[in-house]
Amino acid sequence: MTIDFIELENFRLHKKTKLKFSKELNYIVGGNGQGKTTILEGIYYLCTTKSLNQSSDIEAVNFDSNFFEVKGKFSDLTTNTARVYYDTEVNKKSIFIDDKQIYRASAVIGKFPVVTLTQSDHAITLGAPSERRKFVDSVISQSSETYLKILLEYNKTLRQRSSLLTQIKEANSKNLFDQLEAWTENLIKNGTEIVKHRLSFISDFNDYLKTAYENIMGEIENPEIEYSFLGECAAGNIENVFEEEIKKRREEELRRATNVVGPHRDDFEFIVNDYSLKKYGSQGQHKTFQIALRFGEFFFLNDKIGRKPVFLMDDIYGELDLFRAGKISDYLGKIGQAFITMTDFTKYDNLKKTENDLLINVKNGIAENA
Amino acid sequence: MLIAEPLQRAIDELSKLPSIGRKTALRLALYLLKSEKADVELFVKSLIELKEKIKFCSICSNITVDEICDVCKSRKRDRSIICIVEEASDIIAIERTNEYNGLYHVLGGVLSPLSGKDADSLNIHKLIERVENSEVKEILVALNPDTEGETTTLYLAKLLKPFGIRISRIARGLPIGGDLEFADEATIGRAVLGRVDL
Ligand SMILES: [Zn+2]
Repeated sequence: MTIDFIELENFRLHKKTKLKFSKELNYIVGGNGQGKTTILEGIYYLCTTKSLNQSSDIEAVNFDSNFFEVKGKFSDLTTNTARVYYDTEVNKKSIFIDDKQIYRASAVIGKFPVVTLTQSDHAITLGAPSERRKFVDSVISQSSETYLKILLEYNKTLRQRSSLLTQIKEANSKNLFDQLEAWTENLIKNGTEIVKHRLSFISDFNDYLKTAYENIMGEIENPEIEYSFLGECAAGNIENVFEEEIKKRREEELRRATNVVGPHRDDFEFIVNDYSLKKYGSQGQHKTFQIALRFGEFFFLNDKIGRKPVFLMDDIYGELDLFRAGKISDYLGKIGQAFITMTDFTKYDNLKKTENDLLINVKNGIAENA
Repeated sequence: MLIAEPLQRAIDELSKLPSIGRKTALRLALYLLKSEKADVELFVKSLIELKEKIKFCSICSNITVDEICDVCKSRKRDRSIICIVEEASDIIAIERTNEYNGLYHVLGGVLSPLSGKDADSLNIHKLIERVENSEVKEILVALNPDTEGETTTLYLAKLLKPFGIRISRIARGLPIGGDLEFADEATIGRAVLGRVDL
């Protein structure tokens, strides 16, 4: 899948920007705060209907306007126009695909797969377990609508169950125990599905991670993700282990009135050459791992969905030495279409480029093809 | 903008209806204002009659004009099976399939601690009475396949187990997180035929 063009209107700094893209690498170069990343964000809006850094829609509206609009066209294996329109007065976002309005945002997820590589990815290897779950869940959700739906149901079950636990605690009411049992049973059922999906995802994904890591490093290091749910257990046994653990910790759940057992508390361990990245990894290894995760995600989704995701890379070259920057730009050549922002012209000049690659200059919200 | 008080009141009332926002309420109120008086009176009368004449069946809580609904009264229906649904509108959906010939029981909701719905606020006591005092041999649970519907199904299965009757549920032909009320007939019909034991 590629994006042919994009049009931004009243979108952050961009009053009116129209850009045609190359089907290969699109370098978007300009100083800080000039509106480079906004172009990536516009593309991201088209793919997901949401902003890149989870900011609210209203923040994306140009300061002297009361709406924004992002339009674009996807082609290759799918031909769709997409349009996102947001109106500040009614605080309403409207989404159109091929001029037909779409009412459920979940209908768009996975339709236009997208992979982003940004500075905030450092949280995946360095941050809390929730960051790693978010990464894993977003990759699986893009490849499986079933997983996305189970995950949404599971999260709803968690909210319902903790609300019931609170009621039991506050009213000291034992006659709600029958109902708690039903919520527990449902939690285990949906939770087990999530664990199974994650297990099979990790065993698949490790190969993609290895290949990506090799391409970036140019030498063999052995990266791996380890996932286990409540310790080592066979896939057929998850439900029993889950049930046992929840029985064991029943008093604690009632006391704290919260869900203490389940895949919402999972973590994933990143390993390089048999040691823990989190404990012993160098800064460079963290960076390489983060980049490898995103390239791995790209090729994984490509195989699962059968079309290439849109690849967005925001200001990554700034942190890399020339050797690694060169490796990555070679690797990007295998991806097809990608969008890459850079602040630094000297670095840009040092990259190998083909005649199909495109340079876009951005200054104060005005972008033009160089 | 200052709106004449009777108009404002009409807008307030109309916007209480589900899926009617302020803008639509205004449009509807202005439409009624322009309509013939006789038409408006007919409209109001139909609403009052709806409220006065429609009752809920004293056995199954289905919508009816009599004390007991047509399904519960009918001698052609199979009295050995009761299908549990969330709302009376689900009965209409299942009836349209012509795949089911038993009785119904409307729960009037599903378990949802977040919105304060527990087992006591559902129409469960009457269900137990019906199971105790009749020749019912099977309970078919037909709730929406979302987490609240699923949990309520599991709860009912445990509750009814001691009676030693068959407890089944409609098969999963329906989208997860979907609404039974809005599913197409073929899907619901197949789901009723393909019910499975709990
Ligand atoms: Zn009845």
